[in-house]
Parts: sequence; C-alpha cells; structure tokens
Amino acid sequence: MRPDDTSPRPPTRPAGDGLAETDRERFADLLGAVAASRDRSAYAELFSYYAPRVKSYLMRLGADAALAEEIAQDAMVTVWRKADLFDRRQASVSTWIFRIARNRRIDVFRRSRKPDLDPDEPMVLPAAAEAPEARVEAKETEARVREAMKGLPQEQLDMLNLAFYEGLSHREIAEKLDLPLGTVKSRIRLAFTKMKVRLDGDA
Amino acid sequence: MIRSAIEGVPDKLKCGMRVSDVDPAKVTIGPSTGFDEETLTAVTSGRVDPAVRLFIETAAAMRGCDEPAADALAGALLESEIPADMGADALEKALAAIDESDRAIRSVSRSARLSAELSGLPEGVRSAVLDAEAAAGWRYAGPGIRVLPLDLGGSASAEILRISAGAAAPRHSHKGMEYTLCLIGGFNDGPGSYGPGDVSVADPDVTHRPVADDDGPCFVLAVTDDDLKLTGFMGVLQRLVGG
Repeated sequence: MRPDDTSPRPPTRPAGDGLAETDRERFADLLGAVAASRDRSAYAELFSYYAPRVKSYLMRLGADAALAEEIAQDAMVTVWRKADLFDRRQASVSTWIFRIARNRRIDVFRRSRKPDLDPDEPMVLPAAAEAPEARVEAKETEARVREAMKGLPQEQLDMLNLAFYEGLSHREIAEKLDLPLGTVKSRIRLAFTKMKVRLDGDA
Repeated sequence: MIRSAIEGVPDKLKCGMRVSDVDPAKVTIGPSTGFDEETLTAVTSGRVDPAVRLFIETAAAMRGCDEPAADALAGALLESEIPADMGADALEKALAAIDESDRAIRSVSRSARLSAELSGLPEGVRSAVLDAEAAAGWRYAGPGIRVLPLDLGGSASAEILRISAGAAAPRHSHKGMEYTLCLIGGFNDGPGSYGPGDVSVADPDVTHRPVADDDGPCFVLAVTDDDLKLTGFMGVLQRLVGG
C-alpha cells in the first residue's frame, strides 16, 4: 500500500496532545463498561476519540480516506467484540486499540504487499537479559514511556515512530530517509535502549 | 536448513533460543532476553506469516520476552494523532455492524468451557481461539484429542490441539517443518518433555507421538509449513539462533 500512493500524507510524526493519566484511566473504565454491560454510550465516547485517530494512523500509512475510514470502522467494531479480552493491567486502551488497528491493517494489506524478513540483513544484538519478575505494570510502563519520549531528541523519536508505529523495516527507513542502513540500525538501537533505560532506571 | 542452523550453535544462545543438549530437534525459547528491534518490528508489523506471528508473539509473551515498551510507545503516538474526520454516520454504521456480529456470536457459547481453560493465555492466542470457535469450531481427532483449526489467512497452517491427560496424539510425520508451542500443561514426545512456553521443532524426518502428561489436559499451538513457504519464520529462527 505504501510505495505508490498519491494521497496527501500527514506530518512526519503525530503532533497532537496525548492523554493525561486520568483520561487513560477513564478510558479503561469505559472499555470495562463495554465489556461488562455492553454499554453503548461508553462505546460511543471511545469511538469518537479513537476512530478519527485510527483513521489518521491508516492514512499516515498510505491508505486513502475512504479505505482508512473503512478499516477504522472495522477496527472499532473489533473493539466492541473483543472488549472482554482487554486487561488494563497489561496495556492502556490506546495501546490495545493500536494493536487491533495494526492487525486489521495487516489483514487488509497482506494480500497486496508481502515482503518477508530480509534474510540478508545482519541481526542487531538484543539488550542484555532482564529478569521476568522485574516487569512493571502497564500503567507504570505507559507513564514512563511518555516521560521517556519527552526526553528523546527529535531525530531519535522519529526513528522509533517509523519502526514501531508505522512498522517500517530498517531497510525501508533507510530508503525513506536516505541514510545508510547501519546508521538507521544504530540510531534505532540507541533510541530504544535509551527509552528502556529510562523505563528500567528507577524500578 | 533450520536444523543445520540449530545444530551448529552453542547451548545457551545470546538471543533467547536455547537448544537442548539431549535433542537438537528440541528448541526452547529462553526467558526474557527479548528480541532485537528488527525482529520485533518484523513480527509485529506483519512482515512474517500470520501463523508465525501468532506463534512468536505468544511464545515471547509466555516467556516474558515480549516488549511492552514498543507497543506503549505506539499507543502514545496514536493518542497524538490529529483526528481525521469520520463520516457523519460512522458511529451508527459501527453500531449496526455490532448488532449483526452480536447475533452471529451467540452460537459460540457452547465452547465456553474450553475458552475458560484458555483464559490465562496471552491475548493474541485467546483472540484467535475465539474467532476459530465462532468459525469452524473444535473437531474430534481421535480418543482424547480435539483440534481447533485457526484461520489466520497466511500460507502456514496453525491449529490448537487439546490432548486429554495421558492421551497420545496420533503418530504423525509432516511434509515440512512442524513447530509446536506448549501452551498449557505438558507433553512428552520421546526425546523430550515440554512445559508451558517450550517450543518443539520437528523437521520432516521426525515421526513423533506427543503424549500429554497425566496431571491434566495439554494445549499446544502447532504451526506447519507443508508448502515450505515459511521464509519469515526461517528468517526469525535463523536470526534467533544466529544462523
């Protein structure tokens, strides 16, 4: 879907305001109400916040407005259907809905675009092992990720955006930004490691 | 191909795959070493077969080596999107679609007991089970064996097997590689014993007969690439074993 679209693209990275922690908690309550009592007014509120943002996300990835709207609709119906799978200890509503939107996007575009992992790419070594019991609750992770994002230089945040939000491969990012593959790898690694250090820092 | 890659590597691997000394066909994903960033995005962004994605995400989550920070970052970026206008009747359309899907879903309740057994699993696999129960549903596949085919839309086939305590899955071989992730309970296939989070990799030469431990039912996720098209999985495994 990406390479040859002509639709206007939003700016390089989402530039609006994120939710305050109290709002994130409230949205989790609303989704809980959808799961527990099929609460339509709670759902309507979630829909009015998330559907337009999911549509933006899909347009950012190259879908035209009509297709983006259709997939956003579909993702929001999935939100209703799977509300009882939501576990607020594991993820925020935004993270959970992002995953649903990403999966819908993958389902839809799998037919047209299907590059596999590039076997020629050397692997980037993972960070050192961390103990599983050190995992923090989702609420904590969400708060710290936001804090860490504020402290990252623009350039590194852009890299993380392309890799983890837009889902581009390192090679695609290198082509898009006209940078050597090695530079992209090391910048992403640096940025992600920095972010994780901030996450783990005062655990 | 994978097998030769596995045989050549040391017991304890830097990227989270461990190969048993006893049996080179048994691969265990070690705890909490995490994936490298490229593998992580390849798996989550759909550049690998959907069955493989489900397999790897589930194994990673069960072993605590998934990366919640990456998705939390994406969630935060989603909040920061400038909203795009939806059609005026978007909510009404969604609610109409919901009414329709709610009607279709009522028939699923007969499988509620099995879903309850799977309730502790990571969300991806629970979700796939719900979808599959609503579609084809569980099939009888021999005494003590039930199979739930997952329709994930890729070229690899994926299914959940439920093996009753002490029951044996039919002895079988396969044309391509078979990857088995133990979800709940445990099983033994002769050369090795497997518990939750353990991965068994069997190449086409292996004929095996998994037997569930006798202390309870065993659930596994099995992915087979009969068509040998799983380049994505090959890639991920090779990256993980350093091949």
